[in-house]
Amino acid sequence: MSPLARPRPVLQAIAYVAASIVSLAFLYPYWWMLIGAFRSTREMMSDPLRLLPERFDLSIFAAISRIGGVELWVYVANSVAITAASTVLGVVVTALGAYALVRRPDLPGFALLRYVFLITIMYPYMLLVIPVYIVMFKLGLLGSYAGIVLFLALGPIQFFLFEQFFRAIPKEVIEAGLMDGASEISILFRIVMPMAMPVTATVFLVTFLLNWAQWFPVLVISRSPDTYTLPVALLAMNTELGTNFQGIMALAVITTLPVAILFLLAQKRVMQGMAAGAVKG
Amino acid sequence: MTATLAQIRSGRVFYLFVAPFAALTILFGLWPILLSIQVSFTASATALRAAPTYVGFANYAAVLSDPIFAASLARTLIYTGLSVAANLAFALAAAMLLDSTLLRRANVFFRLAIFLPVVTPDVAGYVVWRWLFDRSFGAINAGLAAAGLPPFGGLASVDTVTAAVLIAELWHHAGFYMLIFLANLAIRDKALEEAAAIDGATTLQRWWFVVLPQLRPALVINLVYATIQFLKTFTVVVVMTKGGPSDRTNFVSYYAYQLFDQARYGEATAMATILFAIVAVLSLAAYRLGDAR
Repeated sequence: MSPLARPRPVLQAIAYVAASIVSLAFLYPYWWMLIGAFRSTREMMSDPLRLLPERFDLSIFAAISRIGGVELWVYVANSVAITAASTVLGVVVTALGAYALVRRPDLPGFALLRYVFLITIMYPYMLLVIPVYIVMFKLGLLGSYAGIVLFLALGPIQFFLFEQFFRAIPKEVIEAGLMDGASEISILFRIVMPMAMPVTATVFLVTFLLNWAQWFPVLVISRSPDTYTLPVALLAMNTELGTNFQGIMALAVITTLPVAILFLLAQKRVMQGMAAGAVKG
Repeated sequence: MTATLAQIRSGRVFYLFVAPFAALTILFGLWPILLSIQVSFTASATALRAAPTYVGFANYAAVLSDPIFAASLARTLIYTGLSVAANLAFALAAAMLLDSTLLRRANVFFRLAIFLPVVTPDVAGYVVWRWLFDRSFGAINAGLAAAGLPPFGGLASVDTVTAAVLIAELWHHAGFYMLIFLANLAIRDKALEEAAAIDGATTLQRWWFVVLPQLRPALVINLVYATIQFLKTFTVVVVMTKGGPSDRTNFVSYYAYQLFDQARYGEATAMATILFAIVAVLSLAAYRLGDAR
C-alpha cells in the first residue's frame, strides 16, 4: 500500500464541499441565464433568485425573431456558415503550412515565415482594427463573408497542434515512402494525413469552438448587421438603450447552447487539444 | 547561391503547400501590423489618404504626455498584476484539489464545470455577468440581501468595478490555466512524493518542496499567457463597463479603440504600438524568468 493512497474521511469531505461550491458557482450563471430567458422583466425584478421560472413560456423566442432589422435566423445561419467555413479553411491551410515548415525548415524563407507568424499572434489583435479595416478596404473585402472567413482562418493553437504532431512523426516513415518512389504529394495524402486524422479532428473541434466566439473581427469587417454572427448581434442588443432583459438572456442562450453541447460531447478531446496546443506555445 | 537555387527547386512542392498559409499570414497579420506602425507616424486627419503627412514621433509624444493615457496604462498594469495573481492562484488551487486523491468520484464533473466558461463565447458570458451584478435584476445583490450581508456595488461603483470585472474574467479564463496545471500534474514523478512521505515529510512539505518545483513549466506558460491576456483586456470592458465609472476600467486597449472611434488614428495606432512593445517585453521577460533556473 502506497503511503499516499489513503485519504482521511474528514479531509475528503472538505474537498468535496469545496469542489462542489466552486463548481456550482461556475455553473450558476448558465442556470440564471436559462431561467432569465423564460421570465419577464417584471418577474425578474421582483425575485432575481428564483431557481425555476414562473411558467415555461417560449414566446420570447418569437419576440426576438427580428433584431436590429435582421431576422434572428440570419444571425444563426451567419454563425454556422462563417464558423464552419473559417474552421475548414483554417484546418486545411494550417495543416499544409505546418507540414511544409516542419518537413523542410532549411528552405529559404521558411524560418522567417514561422517567425512572422509568431509575431502576428502576439500582437494585441483588437488593436489591428484600423489596419485590418484598411486592408479589407484595399482588397475589396469589406462587408463580405470572404473577408471575415479569411481573417478568422488562422490561429495559434491550431498551428502549434499540427506542428507538434508533424514533428513527432518518425523520419523513417517518410523515408520509407520516398524509397518506394512516392511523390511528396502522395506521401502527404497517403501516409501523413491518415496518421494525422485524430489531431485533425481535435484541431477542427477547438477551432470551431474558438471561431464561434469571435466577435471583434466580424464587427470590424461587417458593413451592416447582415453579416453579424450571434455574439455580435448579442453585443448590439446589449448596447441598445432600453433594456430587453429577457430578450438578451434568450439570445445569450442561443449563442451559448450550441458550443456548450459540442464541448460536452467532445470534452476530452477539446481539453487535451487546448492543453497540448498551449503547452507548445 | 547555386545550392540555394537547387534547394528551392527541390522544395518546390513545399512552397506550394505553404503558399496559402503564407498568404493569410502576410495579408491579415504582417501587413496590418506594418500599416498600423506606418499610421502611427502620420497626422490623423491624413492617415487614411493615399499620401498621408508624416509627423515623425509626434503621435508618440502626444500619447506619452497624455495624462489620461498615463492613468489608463497604470490601471492596466495594476489590473493585469491583480488578475494574473488571482487567476493563477485560483487555477493552481483548483488543479491541486482536483488532482488529489481526495476527489476520486465526480472529478470529471468538477473539471467540466470550471472549464465550460473557457469555451463559452466571452460576449455571452460577460453579458450574463453584467446583469448578475445589476442592482435591481441581479442575483448577486439579491443573494447578499437574503443572507443579510451588505450589498456589492458591482459595476456602478468606482470602488468595486475592478473587482467585478476581475471576477467575470476569472470565471471565463481560470479554467484554461487550471487545465495547464492539471496537464503538468499528470506527468509529474509521483515516486518522489512517496519517497518524501517515507522519509517523514508532511503533506505541506511534500507539496512545497516536491510537487511545486515540478510545476515550473506550467507556471511559466500560465504566467506568460495570463500576462498577455490581461494586458489586452478588452471584451469585458466593451460588454460590461464601457471604461467607466470615472474611467476606472478604461484600460489601454479600450482607450485606443475610443481614439480610433474619434478618428484620432495616429494616436490610436501609436498607443497600439506601445502596448505591443509592453506585451512583447513582458512575455519575453517571463520566458527568461522561467528558463533562468
